[in-house]
Amino acid sequence: MDRMLYVAMSGAKQNMLAQAHNANNMANVSTTGFKSDLAAARSMPLFGNGLPTRVFSMTERAGTDFNPGSIQTTARKLDIAIKGDGFIAVQGKDGNEAYTRAGGLRVSATGILETEQGLAVIGDNGPITVPQAKRVEIGLDGTVSAISQTKGAEVSNAVGRIKLVNPDLKTVAKGNDGLFHLDDDEIAQADANVQVVSGALEGSNVNVATEMVNMIELARQFEMQVKMMKVAEKNDEYASRLLTLG
Amino acid sequence: MAEPLWIAKTGLDAQKNRLSTISNNLANVNTTGFKRSRTVFEDLIYQNVRQPGGQTSQETILPSGLQIGTGVKTVATQKIHQQGSLLQTENKFDMAIEGRGFFQILQPNGNLAYTRNGEFQLSADGQIVNSNGYRLQPDINVPQNALSVTIGIDGTVSVSQPGNPIPAQIGTIQLADFVNPSGLQALGGNLLGETAASGAAIIGTPDSLSFGSLVQGSLEGSNVNVVEELVNMIETQRAYEMNSKAISTADQMLQYVNNNL
Repeated sequence: MDRMLYVAMSGAKQNMLAQAHNANNMANVSTTGFKSDLAAARSMPLFGNGLPTRVFSMTERAGTDFNPGSIQTTARKLDIAIKGDGFIAVQGKDGNEAYTRAGGLRVSATGILETEQGLAVIGDNGPITVPQAKRVEIGLDGTVSAISQTKGAEVSNAVGRIKLVNPDLKTVAKGNDGLFHLDDDEIAQADANVQVVSGALEGSNVNVATEMVNMIELARQFEMQVKMMKVAEKNDEYASRLLTLG
Repeated sequence: MAEPLWIAKTGLDAQKNRLSTISNNLANVNTTGFKRSRTVFEDLIYQNVRQPGGQTSQETILPSGLQIGTGVKTVATQKIHQQGSLLQTENKFDMAIEGRGFFQILQPNGNLAYTRNGEFQLSADGQIVNSNGYRLQPDINVPQNALSVTIGIDGTVSVSQPGNPIPAQIGTIQLADFVNPSGLQALGGNLLGETAASGAAIIGTPDSLSFGSLVQGSLEGSNVNVVEELVNMIETQRAYEMNSKAISTADQMLQYVNNNL
């Protein structure tokens, strides 16, 4: 029997994987700081005995779309959004430094500044401890100040500065935890040019229209692969009919 | 069987949770001292279908692998402790906190609960109680013959009594504050309870250190921003529709296989 059936089947399977990819982007359309994943297909010629006539396709996550998401104002002091390029350094679940654009921060029960996922935000000298204060404010350059009040006068104390980085995007990849990591778990240098806005969050950068069009395209492609499988079946059927007649 | 179905399902769940939060915020738009919540989403772990850098042959490696996300998860509903607007009521036992802090309320089970709702009244035996009859802590007894009650910005409660030109101080209202107020657990009835995430209560006098000041004769309105909630609602509905579209597309793909092979 011809191998055409297998080539078509692998095509359908890869389309299904790409569809899963697409569905994940759409499911994260309202996740703060989410960056959509780009899917791509690549042809994989099969080398073996004889000519390499069979070319299978393979779906890949070619990379992440680093375009900024829309900025949503929340007026909450501990929400920060990055202006332009850059990342906030956090301590990942494995203890290594990781990077994120989701800037909804909070102060933990022990006074550590952390993300909504409970990951400690890294400052110039490790995690930032915020003392009991009337108000906590985050400046343009990531400086965290605790504002306390004594006899009606407000006193502002800088308690640390959030590490903001801007590594070369070619070396940044999304890990399985959804955070960004540098290749070989390297640590990025703090960049003084990265600025944050307090009282705002960066929304997901998923472009819904693109994802919907992709979804339709993938569904139709999938149908074509199935059609090819059907054709393979027909071919086979006719061939065996010829033999029975002879 | 088909990942897209399950991934899109997590999207539907998340948007449903978000809508519940929005509805709850909108329902409490007139609740005194109510703090709005927001849902926090996180992308679920990624599955490595093909490891980047894997060997495709002796000499070649995969330039980029295939990692497929498994959808979205609602990690938290977070209370946003922003100041609500102050409403003048001229009722002498109504109090609002301008700034940080919570009133301490003694629940019938003996535990303390915390609230920003300053609608207080007098009980039959002269105690300051909330609208459910739970006592404000520390206990303050208002004498029966009190002509007027004054609550200062620092929580001092004083009364003027007949025949005495100098008001008598009968107690001080103290506030509780938390390192992480968002970590408090909502108990319903406008009350919040201490948790491991909020940290232990820090008790202090109003208008000192980090504590806000008391305003007598005012109430703190709900901090729900109706316009913002409506915009969120539109966004949620559309996201829900898109995810259900992804489910129906995946379904159609499978149906096509079933019908054609």
